Parts: sequence; C-alpha cells; structure tokens
Amino acid sequence: MKRLLLPLILFLFVVLEGVALELLPSNLVVGNLLIIPHWVLVFLVFLAIFYDYENTYYAVLYGLIFGLLIDVVYTGVLGVYMFSYAFVIYIIHGLKRMLHGNIYVTLILGFAGVASVDILIEFIYTMVGLTEAPWIDYFTHRLLPTVILNLVFLVILYPIFAKRLTRWGGEHLTKNNAL
Amino acid sequence: MQFFQRKKLFIILIGFIVLVALIGYSLSDRENITGPEQVVNDTVGWAQRIIHAPVNFITDIFTNIDDFRNTYQENQILKEKLSQYKGMIYEVQEIKEENKELRDTLDLTESIRDYTPIQATVISRSPERWVEQITLNKGSKDGIDTNMAVITAEGMVGKILNTSKTTSTVKLLTGFDQYNRISATISRKKGDDINGMIEGFDEESNSLLFKIIEESDQELKEGEQVFSSGKGGVFPAGLQIGEVKEVVSDQYGLTRTALVKPAADMYEINQVIVVDRNLAKDESNESEEEDE
Repeated sequence: MKRLLLPLILFLFVVLEGVALELLPSNLVVGNLLIIPHWVLVFLVFLAIFYDYENTYYAVLYGLIFGLLIDVVYTGVLGVYMFSYAFVIYIIHGLKRMLHGNIYVTLILGFAGVASVDILIEFIYTMVGLTEAPWIDYFTHRLLPTVILNLVFLVILYPIFAKRLTRWGGEHLTKNNAL
Repeated sequence: MQFFQRKKLFIILIGFIVLVALIGYSLSDRENITGPEQVVNDTVGWAQRIIHAPVNFITDIFTNIDDFRNTYQENQILKEKLSQYKGMIYEVQEIKEENKELRDTLDLTESIRDYTPIQATVISRSPERWVEQITLNKGSKDGIDTNMAVITAEGMVGKILNTSKTTSTVKLLTGFDQYNRISATISRKKGDDINGMIEGFDEESNSLLFKIIEESDQELKEGEQVFSSGKGGVFPAGLQIGEVKEVVSDQYGLTRTALVKPAADMYEINQVIVVDRNLAKDESNESEEEDE
C-alpha cells in the first residue's frame, strides 16, 4: 500500500500543474514571462537523489510514465516530456554517486535538471516547428523565470520530503532491487 | 562492463527512435485522439475536477476583493449602458420577428447563424505555454465534437481540438496557425463586406492576423468589429472575434493584414459555451472545409 504513495503524489503534481497558472498572480501570467511549472520533475529529482539506490531506477521509470501523462493531457505531442524527463533524471541519477545528498547538492542538481529539461523540450519543439521564438527571447522570457520559480518550489519541498524519502527508500527497496 | 555500456547506448538509441515515432504520430493529421489517450484524459479530468473546486474557491476570493474596489465606477457605467440597451431590445425584437416572417415566406428554416449552446467549465490549462490549450469538463458524452467553436460572453476563444468521453481540449485563438483558420468578415452596408481569414496569432503585438482576401475599395478603420462569417463550414456565422487595431500590408504590398485584438480575455476563462452548429454538415461543407 505504501508503494502507491509515490505514484499518487506524482499524479497529484500532474493535476496541480494544470491549475498552476490560476494559482500564480495574474500579472505574472499575462505579461511577457512564460513560467512553466516543472513540479513533477522537481519531485523526480528528489526521488533520484534520496529514494533510489545506485542500482535502482524507480525515478527514471516514474519519469517515463508521468512524462507521458503530461504529454497526453496537456500538450498532445507525445514523447517530448517523457523522453526529456527520463533522460535528465537518468543523468542526475548517475551524478548523485559523486555528490552527497544535502540541500546544496539538491539545489545544484535541481537547477541543472530543470534548466536542461526546459532547453531539451524547447529544442525538440523548435525542431518540430511548434515554436519559432528566437533563442535569446527564450532564455530571458522563459528559461530564467521558469528555473527560478521551480527552484523556489524545490526549496519549499525540501524540508517535507528529503528525510522522508530516504526512509521510504530504505523500507521499499531493501527487499527487492529488481529494477 | 563493456556489455553494460553497450546496453545503455542501445536503450538510449531505442528511446530516441520511440520519441521520433511518437512525435511523428501525434503531429500527423488525425481526427481525434486514440482510445488510451481518451481514457487517460478522462481519468485525469476526473481528478482535475476535484482539485479545481477548492483552487477556484481561493482564487475567487482574491478576484472578489479586486471587484469590490471597482464596483461603484462600474455600476455608473453599466446604468448608462442599460438605458441605451432598453431601446435596442425593442428594436432587435422587431427585427427578429420580421426576419423570421421573411424566412418563413422563403421556406428557409436553417441558417448558418443557428447553433445549440453547450455550457462547460474550464478545469485546467496546459502548463506548457507554447501549447495554448485548456481542458473543459464536458466531452463527447455531452455532444461535443472536434472543430466546434468555443465562445465566452465576450467573444470567440478557440475551437475543440479533441474530445474524450467526459473532457475535451480547446485550442485557444492565441495558438492558431495557418492550419487552423477561421473564415471571418467585417460587416458593411450593401454587400461591401470585407472577407478574410484569421490566420494565426502574433505574439509581439498580441493580436490575431486577419488576412483580407477580397480587396474592397474602402480602407479599414480602427475599431471595426470582426465576426466569423460561417463560410468555412465549421463555425456558425456571427460569433464575435475582435476589433481591428491596425492595418499593415505585406512586403510586396499585395495583400493587407489587419491586426485584430481578440474580444475575449484569453487568460481568465472560467465558463465557456461550446457552439454546436445546427446546419447539417453535409458533403458540400466537407469540400468547403478543404478549401479553407
């Protein structure tokens, strides 16, 4: 039963992303800045750092599933979020071996994760022709505010989940390391 | 160890191929989304409906506070307008009756203006801002079909992109491109109507691009109202789209494009009406759609 908790939390974030723009103050939304909530990704970064062991890849698996979910529900272009989330989480999973799991490392990895995911998504959308925004505009209007707001979200989540996920990881994963 | 390295490379390669295949598939010209996608949309829609209620409650409180501040001013303006409207209601009634009588004598029972409204509530908005989409709480079960127009009290906001049983996705006007055109018109006296197509949205000036196809002698003026013409065979006629802000010519000076400010607010949409055109969509309309 406890294993269902993580997918449920991730599902909740997917749903919340849909109303995120209503929650943000409207002068931020109407203006030129494009703020994209990558809350699912932020939580996946937590999973990769605190929950997974070196030889388990639950965060990557969840990245595939919930990335696809975002694609289906919110964009209609399948595969973009799925691939970007899974790929970036896989790299973060590899990087955490070298670094110790504390707030600074989480911030750095979260920053790198959100930035690279957003750039990757922008790159794919440009290739496909979904957006034609010049890269300069993209960096100032979309990437910067997106990264900052998602990092704020990460800092809020840290005290709630960091310890808990390590404990859950210990409870769930010791019995079978199948994945 | 070498085996594992190769395995990793292999997985990433397969992932990449899957990605390209999926994107190619979803961008292909498909009528509606597949069954599994509909099931996912229904499930997520169900959860969104639950989440949306408390979120809406909280945001409503804040907008209410804002509203209170402007209430007095607004009241004055509205009172003035109301007195004007009273006269107009009488006039409209007369014209409607006359129109009906004339139609009856001509045996015209169906018009491209007629439509059945379906009320719906917005339950979420796509967080990916390049994709201008919102999700409604009504779906194919309630009679919503792809390509129906979606309006608010102020004017048109978009069209239905795809539907599942209990939810449907709306493509907003701000996300329109050359593949999603609306046949539109500016009404003038004596058949001097200016016809054209809404062919996309310009991010810089925040306005719709209205390409004028039939050149008329008269110059366009600022503030003229643009309506859907109903000639595309998809949307009914007479839905307000916006007002002309500026007219520019293209680089060769052959065609003119009017920048049209959308009448509806694209950012604060809560209640919408899905427009089900009454006129049967027969074969002749199908071919018209292709021309569009």
